[in-house]
Amino acid sequence: MAGVVAAAQPAASWQAPAIAVPQAKIPWLLLVPACALLILLFVLPIGYTLLLSVTEPYLSLAHFQRIFTVPLYRRVMVNTFVTSLLVTVCCLLIAYPIAYVIARRDDWLSRILLVAVMLCFWTGFVVRTYAWMIILGNKGPVASMFTLLGLGPPPRLLFTSFASALGMVHILLPFMVLTLYGVMQRIDPHFSRAAASLGARPTTAFLHVYLPLSLPGVINGGILVFTICLGFFITPALLGSPRDMMISQLINQQIQEMLAWGFASALAVVLITATGIVLAIYNSLAGLDRLWG
Amino acid sequence: MKGQAFKRLTNCAGRRQSPSQGGARTYGRGFSGVTQMAKNIGHHAKPAGSRTPIPRRFLLRAGAGTLLAAPAIIGHSASAEENAVYVNTWGGSWTAAEDVAFYKPFTAKTGIAVKTVAPMSYAKIKAIVQSGNYEWDVSGGTNVESKEAQRLGLLEPIDYSVLHRENIPEGNIVGDQIAGVALSTCLVYRKDKFPNGGPQSWADFWDVKRFPGARCLYNRPYTVLTYALLADGVPPDKIYPMDLDRGFRKLDQIKPHIKVWWEQATQSQQLIEDGEVDMIGMWNARAQELINRGVPLEIVWNGNENSMAYKFVLKGTPRAKQAWQFMEFIAQPEPQAKFCTLMSYGPSNPKAFDMISPEAAKRMPTNPEYQKLGVSPNGDWLAPRMAELRERFAQWLES
Repeated sequence: MAGVVAAAQPAASWQAPAIAVPQAKIPWLLLVPACALLILLFVLPIGYTLLLSVTEPYLSLAHFQRIFTVPLYRRVMVNTFVTSLLVTVCCLLIAYPIAYVIARRDDWLSRILLVAVMLCFWTGFVVRTYAWMIILGNKGPVASMFTLLGLGPPPRLLFTSFASALGMVHILLPFMVLTLYGVMQRIDPHFSRAAASLGARPTTAFLHVYLPLSLPGVINGGILVFTICLGFFITPALLGSPRDMMISQLINQQIQEMLAWGFASALAVVLITATGIVLAIYNSLAGLDRLWG
Repeated sequence: MKGQAFKRLTNCAGRRQSPSQGGARTYGRGFSGVTQMAKNIGHHAKPAGSRTPIPRRFLLRAGAGTLLAAPAIIGHSASAEENAVYVNTWGGSWTAAEDVAFYKPFTAKTGIAVKTVAPMSYAKIKAIVQSGNYEWDVSGGTNVESKEAQRLGLLEPIDYSVLHRENIPEGNIVGDQIAGVALSTCLVYRKDKFPNGGPQSWADFWDVKRFPGARCLYNRPYTVLTYALLADGVPPDKIYPMDLDRGFRKLDQIKPHIKVWWEQATQSQQLIEDGEVDMIGMWNARAQELINRGVPLEIVWNGNENSMAYKFVLKGTPRAKQAWQFMEFIAQPEPQAKFCTLMSYGPSNPKAFDMISPEAAKRMPTNPEYQKLGVSPNGDWLAPRMAELRERFAQWLES
């Protein structure tokens, strides 16, 4: 295929103009601080983690064996992925209509929605997590509503997997909305109108024209939310129960309570690898440079 | 109600700020801040965690690699020349009481500043001693944790050129640890939830039919195993050596009814004060503090876990001289009496009782009536088994 393309083009029809490129070494030097920072803050610590995971307390792969053979740790892994997937899907289902309205309309509604999403985005996620603790707590509005309507005591909400998933969906929703909005904003509204003029009903026009065009946003938002969710820590720790622990909570527990740095490092390596695989798949499909729209 | 909660949130923020005016104060830093955020449910979050949440999250997202490097990058190590002692403390009312009873009088007497790091972290002691990066010099724990730290070689030998042996009551020096206060972890229930009398024993706590309601226990393995064995009919004097399998089997029964396992004392207070749970196993003085504040609680002394809290100095700290001066000071009757009047724990120095009213003394874990009803954790039996027990308990909790 590549050969065909190459052959079809007149060979050597274009030559680089003979402009002397200055021996530019200085611009490369400008990269040194950035590279040093990256090495210091990312390459070295991650390398150290990798090293610890196979050398602490002695040289072996036992930590990795333990992660994949002890049922509890396997369950934490599975739970992390299932929860992340669930949160991503929920975010997508809620965010798509919101982003659609913001992108397609230019009136008070779209502005209110955009402001609401941005406010959410800029409010610290710890604050929002605590807000959920109040809302879902025994003296919160949900419980009061149950009492008011005479439905008896409310079901247990706080410290459940439901609360933890709800909190994560809420916190990650702005990421999804903004990513979708970025893509949808650039979809030419004429396309949908053209489809309609050719006789497509609104549903058909949406399914065959708009949806495929917005798909990059769906994938970008999904990847973003999913990878953030994989490493989520505070929200599940505060709102969830120990039974639906995520991998970051396990890492934290191993370091803080068990002082098992080797095992914690091995878990971190698994988390980094999993995130890397997700991003690598994305890269081969779409290219990482398009992640932010 | 939401508004009320928010008001309390701001009140607490104010309370937290106030001690810092009294003296130089540092808070948990590095990754411990993040964890403690998670552990301090409700409004008692560490300010260090809430101040800069976003960089922290990126820290976590970047993986434990950054986490591991965090202490090296942002951990502080005060210089040896600094005339100060760094103390790891429980935070909340405990630290506030220590401030009045220990820190301020000590600084006034010696000129040595006391800086605190909260909340407590036993696990970090090992990391501090191994890395030589002294985030604090003085720590403490019940006879179990102290003995464990002693066994692991993490304690600085007592410097008798600074600390005068004759100033410490007989029996209050154990190895390199010095006795602090006696404390009890008791069954506490809300009187408004059980107007006709609540659970009176751990067997009652396990009886979810007769006493329905949300339950909460301390996330400390040996404490809850003690309760489980008591509930299963083991006599108090036969708890140790512990039948772990029997204890875990009994814990299996209550597990679905435990709404949350508390880790920080302030968290336990918030949970019972807000009525998030109806009965709880918590420290006696923390419950007493709520009762004094008007929260309708009953402390059940039957089956209390009665332990002595020891203080110790971390091995190799460059501020050992200041630390031993501090250790001697807080073992004296007057500071202990002052502390135990504020927090109704029991002083280890018997002379302190001369300065404590008989009514106040009655409420303390040192009350012989309460001692009879309680079980003391057996440090000799537990200390060598703690690592294994902690792991087993964590796995049990998550399964």
